[in-house]
Amino acid sequence: MPEPTTDFTSLTLDYLPDDIAVVRVAVPGHSQNVITATFLRELGQILDHFAAVPPRGLILESGRPGSFFAGADIDRLNRLWELPEPEVADLCDRGRTLFGRLSASPWPSVAVIDGTCLGGGLELALACDLRVATDDPRTSLGAPEVKLGLLPGWGGTVRLPRLIGPGPALEMLITGDAVSGRRAATLGLVDACVPSVAARAAALRLLEQTVANANHTTRRQQQAEAVPLDADEKAFLEATTAALILGRTGGHYPAPLAILKTVLQGCELEAAEAAVGEREAFVQLTRSPVARQLVRVFLLGEQNRRDSGLSGDNQNNLSAPDPSAPDRSDSSKRDCRPAVVGAGIMGAGIVARHLRSALTTTLVDINAAALSRSIPDILAEAAWDRNARASDPQRAVELAGLLRSSTDLAAIAQADLVIESVIERTDLKRQVLSEIESMVAETTVLCTNTSTNPIATLAESLSNASRFCGMHFFNPVRRMKLVEVIRGPATSDATVATVVAHAKRLGKYPVVVQDSPGFLVNRVLTPYLHEAVELLREGIAPDRIDRLSRRFGMPLGPLELYDMVGLDTAFYAGLVMATAFGERIDASPVIPALVKAGWLGRKSGSGFYAYSGSGHDAPITGVNRQLADRLEPYRLPERSLRDEDIIDRLFLPMLLEALLVLDEGIVRESNDVDLAVIHALGFPAFRGGLLAWGDSLGAAQVIERLKRFADLGPRMTPPPSLLDHAATGRPFTTHFLS
Amino acid sequence: MPRPSRSPETTPVVVSCCRTAIGRADRDTGMFRHVRGDELAATVVAAAVARSGVDPATIEDVLVGATQQRAELGGNVARSVGLLAGLPLSTAATSMNRLCGTSLQALAQACHAISAGAENVQVVAGIEHMGHLPMDSDLDIHPRAFAGSSRAVLSMGLTAEHLASSRGVSRRRQEEYALTSHQRATTATATGAFDSEIVPQQGLDEQGVVMLATRDQSIRGDTSLEAMARLKPAFLPKVGSVTAATSAPLSDGAAALLVMSEAEAKRQGLRPLARVLATAVVGLPPAVMGLGPVPASQKALTRAGLSLGDIGLIELNEAFAAQVLACLDEFGIDGEQVNVHGGSLAIGHPLGASGARIATTLLHAMHQQQVSLGLATMCIGMGQGIAVVFEAV
Repeated sequence: MPEPTTDFTSLTLDYLPDDIAVVRVAVPGHSQNVITATFLRELGQILDHFAAVPPRGLILESGRPGSFFAGADIDRLNRLWELPEPEVADLCDRGRTLFGRLSASPWPSVAVIDGTCLGGGLELALACDLRVATDDPRTSLGAPEVKLGLLPGWGGTVRLPRLIGPGPALEMLITGDAVSGRRAATLGLVDACVPSVAARAAALRLLEQTVANANHTTRRQQQAEAVPLDADEKAFLEATTAALILGRTGGHYPAPLAILKTVLQGCELEAAEAAVGEREAFVQLTRSPVARQLVRVFLLGEQNRRDSGLSGDNQNNLSAPDPSAPDRSDSSKRDCRPAVVGAGIMGAGIVARHLRSALTTTLVDINAAALSRSIPDILAEAAWDRNARASDPQRAVELAGLLRSSTDLAAIAQADLVIESVIERTDLKRQVLSEIESMVAETTVLCTNTSTNPIATLAESLSNASRFCGMHFFNPVRRMKLVEVIRGPATSDATVATVVAHAKRLGKYPVVVQDSPGFLVNRVLTPYLHEAVELLREGIAPDRIDRLSRRFGMPLGPLELYDMVGLDTAFYAGLVMATAFGERIDASPVIPALVKAGWLGRKSGSGFYAYSGSGHDAPITGVNRQLADRLEPYRLPERSLRDEDIIDRLFLPMLLEALLVLDEGIVRESNDVDLAVIHALGFPAFRGGLLAWGDSLGAAQVIERLKRFADLGPRMTPPPSLLDHAATGRPFTTHFLS
Repeated sequence: MPRPSRSPETTPVVVSCCRTAIGRADRDTGMFRHVRGDELAATVVAAAVARSGVDPATIEDVLVGATQQRAELGGNVARSVGLLAGLPLSTAATSMNRLCGTSLQALAQACHAISAGAENVQVVAGIEHMGHLPMDSDLDIHPRAFAGSSRAVLSMGLTAEHLASSRGVSRRRQEEYALTSHQRATTATATGAFDSEIVPQQGLDEQGVVMLATRDQSIRGDTSLEAMARLKPAFLPKVGSVTAATSAPLSDGAAALLVMSEAEAKRQGLRPLARVLATAVVGLPPAVMGLGPVPASQKALTRAGLSLGDIGLIELNEAFAAQVLACLDEFGIDGEQVNVHGGSLAIGHPLGASGARIATTLLHAMHQQQVSLGLATMCIGMGQGIAVVFEAV
């Protein structure tokens, strides 16, 4: 066979006997294939070559283990917002036309999908006539564009519904969730799911059958036509999907609804016309601030994954090697012997997270009853099957083998990392930490899971505090991806690096913060909670406050959050903050009064709301009817506030506190604030985080809005850095360098 | 329209029919929470046989419908039911499934055998124990079955919402309908209209004390439009119109009918309740499964040479008020002659048993009210309908 004259960097061309071409893709500079400009150019060139010298068929496969295509090059995506509309449209057209050449070629093609096949990678695979997936656990097929506020722009919304039907296609496109190779075969997304070793042979056989029967022409015809849909089925699909989307997104995310509209309109058209609709919808989504923010949030996570937790020169002076380095991850996992002390809700959640990461973990609690109570919960949570929405009993049994539990602290003797997670009593924590230190080797890293205890105070109980730091998980551990890694005055860089790497092993986003009251997350949360109670005292209805907070995008309103956390716990945390920052956040008299009345929130059956029954799952029955009476002694002059005033009252003090946190150097960089509030508090991702929300207003506008509340005193006073931002026009967030 | 003439040897008749009281499918309070589903079915099969006076040795087959054929209702449950009911070992048994239309299907199939000159004396039963075997567990329907539809059609409540919104059935109208259903069922219970059809079955009261279950557990004589208006939408949060009050409750129960040819009944000296004139099934889009009774009834009536105006009493299974009302609107009738003793919204809807239950209630009501022609019809999940036309003897 004549070879193409060009030298390719991202793909290779070989021929099997009988003139079957094999294009193997390995995009340089990436551990997983991503769609780069170079790859697209070279794909075009090789198709030019095939136009001149047609093969009988084409096998498209990856030269990267575990990856077909992981998707688009995210840095390219992150430039879409700067491009004018016609250029974005042109990008769509070029990609779609290029992929379209595959499906218009006289010979059939098959994609071998052995690994991740996401986004543009899926669209490329869909442009082939046939697809073979493998049953490798890494194989997953999905269209995650919706998670970035976008939709597939290279024909995915046109091809997928024609291949697997509009209902299943919408499910994939709207959730963005990937499916396994096996599931893909059931859906009809791939033509076969086989073991990796058989994938090439399976692809070849399917290709030969297709060549022999010219089956691909029938398929291509089906791909080109409109999709027949019964009118009632279409109306039902549209209504139920729209309701599902609105229920899940609160209307804050435009992409899912755009996908629904694009797919259903596209089904009524021939593919070529439907593609025009897809392009228009894509262009419009790139104009929405939501997509930009979601991409930014994604990049925040990526940046965190690459971050060692240390700044600048420190990284080079590490005494311990960076255990997060990918090439060492297997051996470091084998070496890792973590232990958790304290089997309360947090301790149990932390252990479950360890088991999910397949880490053999020791759990110690001196209270035998508490320990045995916690174990079924730990195993059930660790074996939780997200798809089945139930715990997998078989998995629980397997994971039980990784859990070592004991009432004797001596069980942690071999541990190389211990997380103390007993209740938040300083004296108890100090005592337990001291006992832990006496049990373990000199090299063992010690952590405390605390939200209110200064690390410095706890460190006093240790003889070697350089190997000690805070490791603050958020409740519920399974859902909240953030971990605060808190440096004490003596904490060494090596300790920080080890704990950061450990948090990543648990699938968490670690953010390194300085030892300061409330650390980062509770520090910025407190003004928001405090303000909600002040609004109550001014006569604003509790459900109105919470509704507006949820409308802003928070998963729970502040008063609902109080009730969930427990008013006693919140009172104690608030006291710590009031002691430190009393000028802005005074200790409100309301919370202690409610605690005194026995209103501890959901767990006691009454708080700001009333519940039917008590405990974590007690359903809410409405606003607590006696709340007004309880508030009576603490009333403030009534204010008439518009909805947007209430939202400003709740969130502006949070922003000001974040600016103070930055001024004080509590975090290493501003991006950490946004990552933290999103993954610890559920701050709306579509706003890009707290500072990104501030940027959407602009410093000048923030100052302007604060003026309305100037009489409320220091908590509404612009800090000097805000004035500086306003004067210089410098944004609160840091831009990503691509 | 001329009525097709049939020979007594191939004309199917129902000789006896009965049911259990219908229990709530509730783990803590359901009156059959400690009774197995196959036992419930055996109770009604034995009673249908005993009440008829049929010679058990002549019973050729037992047909049992159940939508969840696993665990206590698994492994050809019909055979277990026949054995539990004390039927001769020579009586054969088969189990079947047409989801909610299951036991009406069992009746239809028995009649088809008679018409074809195949098996003659047969017992037909339906059983569901939704408390023990929830309808959505162990379900793995092929996703490509929904390629032209959506998985949401598996939520019958959402299909009811679709009918309510696309056919303009208001929440208030649904609630008025549900209220009527409860009122009629309350009256029927109070006046003894169900006494002849309900077979007492031992169960537990809410305190856990043994009792003889003779009254349907879900009927609420004290319900009101005000109480219903307070309920939240059950399937579509905030915007939906279908609530727990306008959806049939999850239920446990069984019903059975004894069928044979008219000639065989005469030979055995038995007095039939009714002839089965025609049966029909249809498929339709899954999203409008609730309208299934409309084309199914039209097809069955045509086969019987009748029109809807000829029918004196109708049992139209009440899966959802929205669905019943959408059907009535399509039929162009007001519902006076429909579900005169209340329907599944009040009595309960033990899926696989409901076909035999509504046929039983219909035949007893036809005799009580001296009505000649009756129709039993049901909607079926994932888009089907079934109908059977009866003539009182």
